[in-house]
Amino acid sequence: MATAGPALSTPHPLGRIFRSLLIPVLALLTALAAGALVMYLSGDDAASAYNGLFQGAFGSAKAWAITIRKMIPLIFTGLSVAVAFKAGLFNIGASGQFLMGTVFSVFIGINFEGLPPVIHLPLALVFGILGGVLWGAIPGILKVYTGAHEVIVTIMLNYVAALFSGWTVYAGGTQGQTPGPLWDPTAGPISETADVLASARLPYLFDPSYRIHYGVFVALAAVVFIWWLLYKTTIGFEIRTVGQNMKAARYAGIRVNWTVILTMGIAGGLAGLAGAVETLGLNHKFAPEFGGQVGFDGITIALLGQTHPFGVVLSSLLFGALDAGAAKMQFDSGVAADIIQIIQALVLAFVAAPMIIRALYRIKRQPGEAESTSLGTSWGGS
Amino acid sequence: MRVFRFTWLFALLLIGALVLASCPAPAAPAAPAADQAAAAPTEEAHAEEAAEPTAEPAAEVEAMEFKIGLVTDVGRINDRSFNQSAWEGVLKAQADLGLTDEDVKYIETQDTKDYADNMAQFIDAGYNVIVTVGFALGDATTEAAKNNPDIIFIGVDQFQGEALPNLAGLIFHEDQSGYLAGVLAASMSKSGTVAAVLGTDLVPPVVAFNEGYIAGAKSVNPDITVISTYHPGEISQAFVDPEWGAATAKQAIDQGADVIFGAGGITGNGALQEVATHEGLYCIGVDTDQWETVPAAQPCLISSAMKLITPATAELIAQAQDGSFAGGNVFGAAGLADFHDFDSVIPQEVKDLLATTKAGLDDGSISTGYGN
Repeated sequence: MATAGPALSTPHPLGRIFRSLLIPVLALLTALAAGALVMYLSGDDAASAYNGLFQGAFGSAKAWAITIRKMIPLIFTGLSVAVAFKAGLFNIGASGQFLMGTVFSVFIGINFEGLPPVIHLPLALVFGILGGVLWGAIPGILKVYTGAHEVIVTIMLNYVAALFSGWTVYAGGTQGQTPGPLWDPTAGPISETADVLASARLPYLFDPSYRIHYGVFVALAAVVFIWWLLYKTTIGFEIRTVGQNMKAARYAGIRVNWTVILTMGIAGGLAGLAGAVETLGLNHKFAPEFGGQVGFDGITIALLGQTHPFGVVLSSLLFGALDAGAAKMQFDSGVAADIIQIIQALVLAFVAAPMIIRALYRIKRQPGEAESTSLGTSWGGS
Repeated sequence: MRVFRFTWLFALLLIGALVLASCPAPAAPAAPAADQAAAAPTEEAHAEEAAEPTAEPAAEVEAMEFKIGLVTDVGRINDRSFNQSAWEGVLKAQADLGLTDEDVKYIETQDTKDYADNMAQFIDAGYNVIVTVGFALGDATTEAAKNNPDIIFIGVDQFQGEALPNLAGLIFHEDQSGYLAGVLAASMSKSGTVAAVLGTDLVPPVVAFNEGYIAGAKSVNPDITVISTYHPGEISQAFVDPEWGAATAKQAIDQGADVIFGAGGITGNGALQEVATHEGLYCIGVDTDQWETVPAAQPCLISSAMKLITPATAELIAQAQDGSFAGGNVFGAAGLADFHDFDSVIPQEVKDLLATTKAGLDDGSISTGYGN
C-alpha cells in the first residue's frame, strides 16, 4: 500500500497507511458499539453475539471457508465501484452488470458440450466479462454523448438487467407462453437454467464441502491487475486525472470521453466477472433469485476500502466475515441476524459521512487532504 | 504526527471500553436464557409456556441430550406463516419432551446459498433433529440427510422422490383443506355462486386446494357455480401479484360470487382485501390463520384453509425421540382456522357439518376426488 500512488502531503508512508485506515476502523468500531447498544437495549447478550459472530467467521476451517466464499463476489463488485470512483464516476450498476455477466457466462456454461475445460472455462469467464463490459459501457457512452448522468442510467439498467435475466429463464405460463431461451425444461415450473457443464466449472479447492473454488485466485488476480492498471500505467494515470479534475484532464490532452467509456467498461467487466465466477464456481446454474445483494454491497466496500484495490480486499474480508458469522451469531445468542445489516449500514453511513467520525473523535483534517477521496467530481456537475 | 492528540485517542479507548463493557453486563450467569426468551416478542408466550412445564422434568432428562435445530427459508422466524408454524411445532415438542431452552434453536437464512451452511451449524454442534422449512430447502436437506445418517431431518413442505430413512418430508392434503373451505363457502353463499382466486396451476398444491374446494362446494349444493381462476403467469409472479388477485376477485363479485377463497400467497391476499371492501361478502384465507396475517381482510374473513404444520412437526419430533420415526412422505392434517368474529354469524348446523366432514375426511369415508 505504501507504494500506492504518488506521495501526497504526509511525509512517512506508514503514516499514510495509518491515516487511510483510521476513519474506516473508527467507523467499524463505532458501528459495532452502536450494534452492541441496540442489542443491549433489546435485552440481548452482545458478548455472546459478537463472540458467535467472530467464531462463525474465523473460528474454524469451515468458518474461514464461508468467509472467503462470501468475499469473492464482494471483491469484484467492490473493485468495480472503486475503479469508477477513481474516474469520478458513480457506478450504481454493479448489480445489473453482475446479472449480465451471469447470463452470458451461464449461456456458455450450459452449452458446447465436449469442449475441453481449458477452452470452455476461460470462454465462459470471458463471456461473463463481456456481458458486464457491455452493460457498463452503455452508461459511459450515454454520459459522453448525451450528458445523461451515469447514476440514473446505471440504476435504470439494473432494472433492465433484472428483468432481462429473469426472462432468459422464464418457465412459461399456463397459457402457452413461450419460455425463455435458457430455461431448463426438466426444471418443470421452476425458472432456472440447467446445470453448468463440468468442463466450464471453476474447480473446488480443498474438500468440496468447503465450497471454496478457484474463483478466489481470479479475484486476487483482478485486485493486482486493477492496482497495476490504476497506478502503474498511463491509462490508470488518465483515469485518476479525469477523476481529479475533468477540465484539467481535457486541457492536458487526455481523451476524457474515451477514458469515461473505458472506465465504465472496466467497472462493468469486473462486476460481470463477479457474476461469472459465482455461477461457474458456486451456483452452477442461474435462477432469478441469485442476483442478491453483492452489487450494492460493492458501493459500501469501495467506499470503506477508500477506493483502493487493496482496501477493497480488506473491506470485502470484513463484509464477508460479517455475512459468514451471522448464522453462528444467531445460533449462539439468538440475536436476529438483522443486526448484521444494521452494523453494515452504520459502517457505510460513517464512512460516507466522515464528518461524523471526525467530529466524534475530534480528528483534524490534514492540510491538502480531500474530505472524501471517493466521491470525486461526479456530484459536482462537471 | 500532529493529529495524534489525546482527545481522540481517549475517545478511541472510550469506544473500545464501551464495546467491552456492554458485553459482560448482560452476560451475567443466569441472564442469557431469560434475555433470549424476552428477545423474541412473538415467541414469548410459547417460550414461557414451554419453560414452565420444563422446569422440573428437565433435571431428569438432562442426561438424554436431545437437541432440535430449525433452519428457516429466507425470511423471519415470526413470519406468521410456515417458518413460524414450524418453529411453534418445535416449541411444542420442547414442552412435550421436557427439553430446556438451550436444546432448541433456530437460524434464519439470509441468502439462498446458505442453506447447507446453516444446517451444518446444527450438524457440527451434534443436534439430533434438524427441521428445514420450505420447498426451496429440499435439495440441501436431502444432501445433508444422505451425509449424516445419524441425524433426523424433517423437511416441511418438501416432497420426497426417494425415501431416506432419516428424512421425512412433511406434506399436506391440501385437497382436504380446500374441501372444508368449499363446504363452508357453499353453506354461507346466498347467491349460489362462489369463487376461488388462485396462484398458478403449475404448483400441484394450488391445484389440490382448488379441486378440493370445488368438490366440497358441490357436496353441499350440486348446482353451485364455482368461478375459479388461476394466475396466468409463471411461478415467480403468480404468488406476488396482489393487483391481479384484487382485480380477479372484483370480476368474480361482478359475476355474483358472494364467498371468495383466496389461495396463492400475496396474490390471494389481494383478493381477500378486495372482498373486504364489499359489504356483506365473505372470504376464506389459506395456509395459516389469515385473521392474523392479513388484518385488512378481517371484515370478510370467515376462516382459512390451513396446513396444520405445528402439530405435525411436533409429532414427527416426538417420533424421532422415541425411535418410531420413519422417513419418506408424511402427511400432516388439514383443517379450517378459527372463525374469530364470525363465530356468531356461522350457524350451528354449518359448524356441525364441517365437524362431520372433517371426521369423514380423516377416516377416509369422504373422498375429495383429487388425485384418484
